[in-house]
Amino acid sequence: MFIALHPSSGVPLYLQLLNQLKERIASGQVKPGEQLPSVRELSADLKINPLTVAKVYQILEREGLVETRRGMGTFVAQKVDTLPVAARRQALDPVVRQLVAEAIHLRLSEAEVVELIARHFQQLNPRNSSNEP
Amino acid sequence: MNENAITIRDVTRSYGKTPVLDRLDLTVKAGSIYGFLGRNGSGKTTTIKLLAGLGRPETGEISVLGRDPWAFTAEDRQGVGYLSEKQNLPPLMKVKSLLDFCSRLYPQWDRELCEGLIARFQVPVNKRVSALSMGNQRLVGVILALAPRPAVVLLDEPAANLDPVARREFLDEILDLIRDGDRTVFFSTHILSDVERVADEVGILAQGKLRVSESLDSLKETVKRVRFFGFPGNAPERPPQAFGWRVRDGEALGTLKLAHPGEPAALAANWKCQYEIIDLSLEDIFVDIARN
Repeated sequence: MFIALHPSSGVPLYLQLLNQLKERIASGQVKPGEQLPSVRELSADLKINPLTVAKVYQILEREGLVETRRGMGTFVAQKVDTLPVAARRQALDPVVRQLVAEAIHLRLSEAEVVELIARHFQQLNPRNSSNEP
Repeated sequence: MNENAITIRDVTRSYGKTPVLDRLDLTVKAGSIYGFLGRNGSGKTTTIKLLAGLGRPETGEISVLGRDPWAFTAEDRQGVGYLSEKQNLPPLMKVKSLLDFCSRLYPQWDRELCEGLIARFQVPVNKRVSALSMGNQRLVGVILALAPRPAVVLLDEPAANLDPVARREFLDEILDLIRDGDRTVFFSTHILSDVERVADEVGILAQGKLRVSESLDSLKETVKRVRFFGFPGNAPERPPQAFGWRVRDGEALGTLKLAHPGEPAALAANWKCQYEIIDLSLEDIFVDIARN
């Protein structure tokens, strides 16, 4: 798995890894039921501390995106909708806030931002992008 | 199993009348890679020497693997690898003979690991120590510290004089070491990007005390630069949780240790102003903390 990490960024390493794995799961690049590399393999591959990978896998598991099968490894979960809607909204809230702040700085209108978001939905998740609740 | 590989409690140490460590407290969890940071003269080397048993604190207690380093037996020393800041290798000895000589002092010396390290670091073993570059001499020191497979490795500026390729190989080796089992690595450095790559815990020493000691992730998540702007009146005074605080053109720029993520919003609401949060690299955080 090719993942680009930037240790000197202000974004913690674990968060960079978490976001990239989430994106790959969301976009179907890693499919439900597919096995992720082990903590050991991925940390050796990315040349980062194994604790960082372990932490990311724990978060993914807590959020229901992956399942750990004892003695077998970590797999992408079959269905991802385990968190209640309110919790999922809350998780997204800080990112959206930052996005809106950036948009205001750049003097982009709400409609323009919505259009941009729609385009990204289309790219990452073409099948389910049609105005689902 | 001892959960902390290293414990320093209330340690004071001075040279003559110059205090270096001032009631220092520090713990390192077993199995972690601890990046130990501080400006020159902040007491990093003094701390590492105390951990290696090469000095005695005036007050307080030190424990490495559950033992007082000052009272280390020869057997205890087998479990602790140490690379000093100013290593003193015999200049006329061939690297090969030096490694061979040292291997006989350590019953647990891992020949295979030693060969692997020589190959990985590409150290010319048939040359005399004095004929090696500074970087290669440093790598010989690293091999000497790691080959006995100690449970705790103390490295004082291991990456000084290493070129970028050698440094990367060295860091990868440190990661391999940790991955292989319950080992603890404690290293000091000025190269903050190295710490960001491999360390899970970070400590910043300034004025003889540990200003910060926590996981690198939580440090990056809780120390933020925040710009407050649009105050109705004058910009406020520096709040207590700020490391740095500058006011210019009616704006305030602070480096804040956040108790919770909503803190900037709460401060801004209180001051009736707006705010913007800026992520900081470890270097930014270090400079702000060490300067104050």
